[in-house]
Amino acid sequence: MTTMSWTAHPAEDAEVVQRSLDESEGFSAIFDAYFGEIHRYVTQRLGADGAEDIVAETFLTAFRKRARYDPSRATVRAWLYGIATNLIGKHRRLEVRTLRALGRHGPDPDPPGHEERVAVRVSAESLRPSLAAAVAALHQRDRDVLLLVALADLSHEEIATALGIPYGTVGSRLNRARRKLRATLGETNPMLDAEETDRG
Amino acid sequence: MDELRTVRELYGEPPPDPLLKARVRGLLDAEPRRRRGLLPWTVGLAGLATAAAVTAAAVVVALPRVTGEPPGATGKAGASSPASTVSGRSILLAAATTAESGPSATGAYWHVRKLNRRTYPERLGSGANRYWMVESRLTEQWVTEDGRVWSGSRALGAAPGSGADEEAWRRDGSPATWRGRPLSTSPGKGALTAVTGKAPFSMAGRDMTIQQIRALPTDPEALRRWVTETVRDTPAGSADGVVADALGGLLWSKPSPPDVRAAAYRALAELPNVRYLGRTTDERGRQGAAFSFTLRATDLSRATIGSPATDDSPAADGPRAADAAQTAATVRRTLIIDSGTSQVLSSTVTGLPGGVGDQVEVVLEAAWTNTEPTVPAVP
Repeated sequence: MTTMSWTAHPAEDAEVVQRSLDESEGFSAIFDAYFGEIHRYVTQRLGADGAEDIVAETFLTAFRKRARYDPSRATVRAWLYGIATNLIGKHRRLEVRTLRALGRHGPDPDPPGHEERVAVRVSAESLRPSLAAAVAALHQRDRDVLLLVALADLSHEEIATALGIPYGTVGSRLNRARRKLRATLGETNPMLDAEETDRG
Repeated sequence: MDELRTVRELYGEPPPDPLLKARVRGLLDAEPRRRRGLLPWTVGLAGLATAAAVTAAAVVVALPRVTGEPPGATGKAGASSPASTVSGRSILLAAATTAESGPSATGAYWHVRKLNRRTYPERLGSGANRYWMVESRLTEQWVTEDGRVWSGSRALGAAPGSGADEEAWRRDGSPATWRGRPLSTSPGKGALTAVTGKAPFSMAGRDMTIQQIRALPTDPEALRRWVTETVRDTPAGSADGVVADALGGLLWSKPSPPDVRAAAYRALAELPNVRYLGRTTDERGRQGAAFSFTLRATDLSRATIGSPATDDSPAADGPRAADAAQTAATVRRTLIIDSGTSQVLSSTVTGLPGGVGDQVEVVLEAAWTNTEPTVPAVP
């Protein structure tokens, strides 16, 4: 295997996947490293109940397709997010329903050590329903890119390879999504208004 | 980057699911191994799955109802009679002196155990018969010097909010669960999870380690300046409120060393937006002094600018009038402090938008310990 420029510690990951082609126990390391964040991402988008099958399917798909994984194109992490995102795309109605619930309910109580999050969140809280509606109203393609940035923290390049779209398209979809959200938030959020004024 | 942050806040942080992990392992395990070398991870995984199942089984215990008293929407804290700010300031300064001689780190884990109570943010029932349910939950956290974190959580069961809510709940057939909602009148079995890839603490939205908390300024003015700098780019309606909240946060559930705690008390004593509400008792009957500060001030003028009288956002199916009232509400945190020990006993956040009612957190324990992390036990 040739050396490539990876972010995080992907060189090892890629090696592990390659090795797991021969020794499938190797895939265990991949599973251990990424189950947590893939589960989180899918649960955020589809809710805890809906996420179960999709998370399982993501790793089963990755395992079955491991021979087709090309480390020169994507990090293992981006590859897994790509698989999960494609699977989520088949459950659009569940995602919209989950967003509607998110708009109504808050997230869980703040864990010890993070109590002041509430102050940071307060201004966003009143916008919850309209923000959720705005995210739900986005085109699926734009939402995928937005959430891979916001929730998974993938780079534009990683998103391009994960979704199999040109690099430039990632930027334009992200911009469109952000523009629409800003239009929703800007109307009611004094904080964002102030910021826009500063910028303008 | 505000939209992205707002989107992240919207989605929140779902809890990990170790049982699901074990299940998916099982599925992977059953996959055909087209190539040579099939055994090792099968064996390892079966062991793990069993371990997870045992853990789960071990924590299934019948729990008594913890929320004995009616969980009214307004805490006792706000009901106290106002007293002069002078005496409030002197209480905070006295607490600072007590804090100074407080214990420093002794033990393997910084441990916090809290009782959280909040109204489930959706009105339940059907037709005209509607009611609020109040959820109680124990949350715990253990943090080691080297930054390992364990987080425990256990639902204690939901109960109707008020007497009227209880009547409506009975008319609804006294349901114990609600379809499609993560809510139950029965206590949960609880979970303990090792948290990875997350900072153990945060302050005004900024991640913090134990070492960073220890390195904070011990001079009150320097500490206030440090916090003000830190929260400068924090999006919140009121920067003053976030500063007060960050300083207050150092006093509870964070392993702040005695001199930092003392500095935080002294800095709070000088903040103009911190009000002394008088002596009161927390939900568990413990005596203390109540202080409050605004997290977000009433901001009617700006909140209504640019937003038309009719709200046409598709997901806003709540009553309009209530929404408008929520937008205008002042969000406030009230801390009850035991001035004798300088410990924070409880926190109540009132006026949260979205009709979610008060968010009450009672500190049951906040200290260093050598006791290993376990699934939260019933108080």
